[in-house]
Amino acid sequence: MSTSQAIFAGWMEIPNSAVNQDARSQTEQAAAEEATLVALVSQYAGTLYRVAFSVLRNPADAEDAVQEAFLRVLRHRDTLDDVRDRRVWLIRIVWNIVLDRKRRAKTRPETDDVSELARVLPHSGLSAEEIASAAQHHARVLACVDQLPTKERQVLMLSAFEELSSVEIATVLDISESSVRSRLFRARNLMAGLLNHERK
Amino acid sequence: MNPSNQNSMLNLGASHGDRDTGEDTLRLIAQLPAPRGLVDRVQAELRAAPRRARVLAWPAALRSDGQWMRSAAAAAIVFVVAGGGWGVYSRVQQPQPARVIVMPPRLAAPGSFSSAAAIRTPKTLDGPVVANPATTKAAEVRGPDKLPALAVQKASRRLQAGATKETSIQAQAQPAAK
Repeated sequence: MSTSQAIFAGWMEIPNSAVNQDARSQTEQAAAEEATLVALVSQYAGTLYRVAFSVLRNPADAEDAVQEAFLRVLRHRDTLDDVRDRRVWLIRIVWNIVLDRKRRAKTRPETDDVSELARVLPHSGLSAEEIASAAQHHARVLACVDQLPTKERQVLMLSAFEELSSVEIATVLDISESSVRSRLFRARNLMAGLLNHERK
Repeated sequence: MNPSNQNSMLNLGASHGDRDTGEDTLRLIAQLPAPRGLVDRVQAELRAAPRRARVLAWPAALRSDGQWMRSAAAAAIVFVVAGGGWGVYSRVQQPQPARVIVMPPRLAAPGSFSSAAAIRTPKTLDGPVVANPATTKAAEVRGPDKLPALAVQKASRRLQAGATKETSIQAQAQPAAK
């Protein structure tokens, strides 16, 4: 073997031991990533479902959104270690997915919301009339929420999640915390006005 | 479901001070439990999803002679690139100098109009320009007076040809008579 061949062979070829070690470490890394993903699913699937349902108001669509969110996580699982707060990161992913779906979907009639809420909301110990009136009220409230400006509506919807602080809402929406507070204040005033108008 | 949720369904007017801002409804929706089996379904979906992007590998039969194949492939690539470059280079034509055709000077015939104040019309077509007048037919050059001389020449040639024919016939006939 000439000198140049020897140099190229040494430069280009990877020893078998290194290949085996690399493959083993890759397998271990893949297993660790899979375990992390499984833990994330079991820990945050419920939270993500509720976030998705609050926007889409349809159980099947919400579940699809959750699955899509975790599929995105699977695609970018190499960056999981860089994420500081995984819960907020996941909520942000599913939030963007549901907003996108909501934008693309046609406007649902209010009657759909009423029937869906009557079916989904808890009604143990209530009569049929109470369930129906409660569902109608909630549907009316949701119709008023839909009339709010987008920025105020988003803050109001996320503020309903007790597990999210104003800082975390700010992170999800990519705005400052003071903006969250001011938007929430405006949203509450607008909602009060709209609901009073409805009552009159 | 905890009792506070059920209470919030009925207590619709006391969410934010004295005002109803509808937050009870949103909070109620935000506390809905996830459907049963959601985690299992999501995990099943993740298991079914494709793992990593696959890279096409060399066939197993060629893997042992990988070095030779790589060299051949590299040589083929170099050959194709160099050949393509040479093909393009060889097809490029060198710019040729423009041909200049000299127009014959126009001589004004005596008695014709003068071209002193003539407006020159530019050439709009790049067609070939004839530098010299085409040669006229031979008959025109020679003129009509030379035609009889030619006819005489042709007739004399024919006569000569006839005479040689006769002499040859006689020459053939003489040995026969002998």
